[in-house]
Amino acid sequence: MVAVDLAPASIQALQVLTIVVFAPLVSGVIAHLEARLQGRRGPRILQPYYDLGKLFRKETLVPTDASWVFVVGPILAFTCYLIVPLLIPVLTAYPLPLGYMGDILGGGFILGLASFSVAVAAAESGAPYAQLGSSRAMTFGALIEPSILFVTFTVALITTTDLPYFEAASARASLSQVVRPAHLLAVLAFFLVVLNDTSRIPVETHSGTLEFGMIDEARTLEHSGPLFALLKWGSAMKQLILYVLLVNVFAAPWGLAGTTALGAVLLAIALLLAKAFAVGAIFTVIDNSFSKLRLFKITEFMAAAFLLAILAVLVLYLGGG
Amino acid sequence: MAILLASSTPPVPSTFSGGAEAIALVVLLTEFAMFRAPLSRSQIRLYGFQSLAVSALAILVAATQHVPELYALAGLSFILKVLLVPGIMLRLLKDAQIDLAASNRLGVASMVLLAIAASVFGFFVVGRLPVHAHVLPAPALGLAAAEILVAFLLVILRADVVSQAVGFFSLENGVSVASLVVASGLPLILEVAFLFDLLVAVVVFGVLIRVHHGRTRTLSTDTLDRLRG
Repeated sequence: MVAVDLAPASIQALQVLTIVVFAPLVSGVIAHLEARLQGRRGPRILQPYYDLGKLFRKETLVPTDASWVFVVGPILAFTCYLIVPLLIPVLTAYPLPLGYMGDILGGGFILGLASFSVAVAAAESGAPYAQLGSSRAMTFGALIEPSILFVTFTVALITTTDLPYFEAASARASLSQVVRPAHLLAVLAFFLVVLNDTSRIPVETHSGTLEFGMIDEARTLEHSGPLFALLKWGSAMKQLILYVLLVNVFAAPWGLAGTTALGAVLLAIALLLAKAFAVGAIFTVIDNSFSKLRLFKITEFMAAAFLLAILAVLVLYLGGG
Repeated sequence: MAILLASSTPPVPSTFSGGAEAIALVVLLTEFAMFRAPLSRSQIRLYGFQSLAVSALAILVAATQHVPELYALAGLSFILKVLLVPGIMLRLLKDAQIDLAASNRLGVASMVLLAIAASVFGFFVVGRLPVHAHVLPAPALGLAAAEILVAFLLVILRADVVSQAVGFFSLENGVSVASLVVASGLPLILEVAFLFDLLVAVVVFGVLIRVHHGRTRTLSTDTLDRLRG
């Protein structure tokens, strides 16, 4: 058998393709698992794909007073989610040509632009619940920001860079890097950040229909047809991107392709999906064993994430960690 | 990339000091969890867990640094602080038949932020001290100082008798961690004297809780100013 080598550029394209194609699958598996844990039969694993197909065949309705922002918002957000996989270690342990185009902050800015454009599009609709959702999403996004910054500082203190590839490489380098308190605290803090950003319990119910508790979910209420499909697909991609950051940069950066061989890359895709399912299973268990926090108690959750992140920086700063 | 990493990054702590720091961190994080715990019962359980972590730290130091007296200390503090003190406190609470003493003087998030500020202060003040720990890593001392300051805040910011008792007891846990860091070879008799101190405190707080509850039918200390005359 002849080993087929892929060009780095095509691996990079494959990273984006992996996120685009498999994001609905991860959502489907999580929804199925969640239903099984609650004793329901649950939807098919492929249900998100059918949903997207159905939505893309429907017509687009735009509120009378809404401007072009309402239409452009979801498209811009989707584009942002297409860009982020270029910057992060989705499949390879070594940096790809465009990998150094942006650091963790750069990726964070692009994710921030995406959620900004969704919020603006929702506010443009003029509907009260969509506006409530976008205003809440912005507020809580700002409150979780300090934790993200301090996790970035931890990465910077450990690796003296803020590139996701280096953080992953330092964790792979030795076991004592993995068990050092600063790394563990940063992983935990980032875990809480992901819990918040993928709008899971205890911050937000994933499958509720009660608008008063909604944050992220309320933003998409006014969109329909292909635009709504883009929003749903985009939020599934955001979820998978955050999972990738959690496992491939922080928690378990093993099982990535070390070479450009086709087999290694395909194996990396399979392992990535397995890791994403495992993270999804953990989130599902949390979803089923905790209750949603009252809206004004979410700050307690943010304070906990901030506490972990700032302790990570402190133990490093004092020369230990 | 591996070469670049090795040359430019700060040194990684050894597994022993990493583990010791992680346990000291658990002690500090439990103190923060006591802020969050709404039930007095869960606060007492958290105290038991924190004491367990302190005993584990003592065993870790005893095993790796060959200080056999610390095994005795770990055993004593396990019996006293993990079993006896939480047991007595839970018993007292059961007699009082009050689960929830709504006693926060501030919102939980603000209390946690305040406690973070206090622990940062503790960290940096201790970091400036010329104390060189020869057994445990230096950050563990900073963590112990932060834990003591946060325990003070717990006593100040929660106005119920149980929080104040638990805050005082966990203060002693912080002191234990600090003494393990700076003087793990401390004569056993002194360590036992600390524990005896704690036992006296338990008796005093037990009497206080009983008398207070007997007079006011509550565990909150907000009513203390009504006891005049």
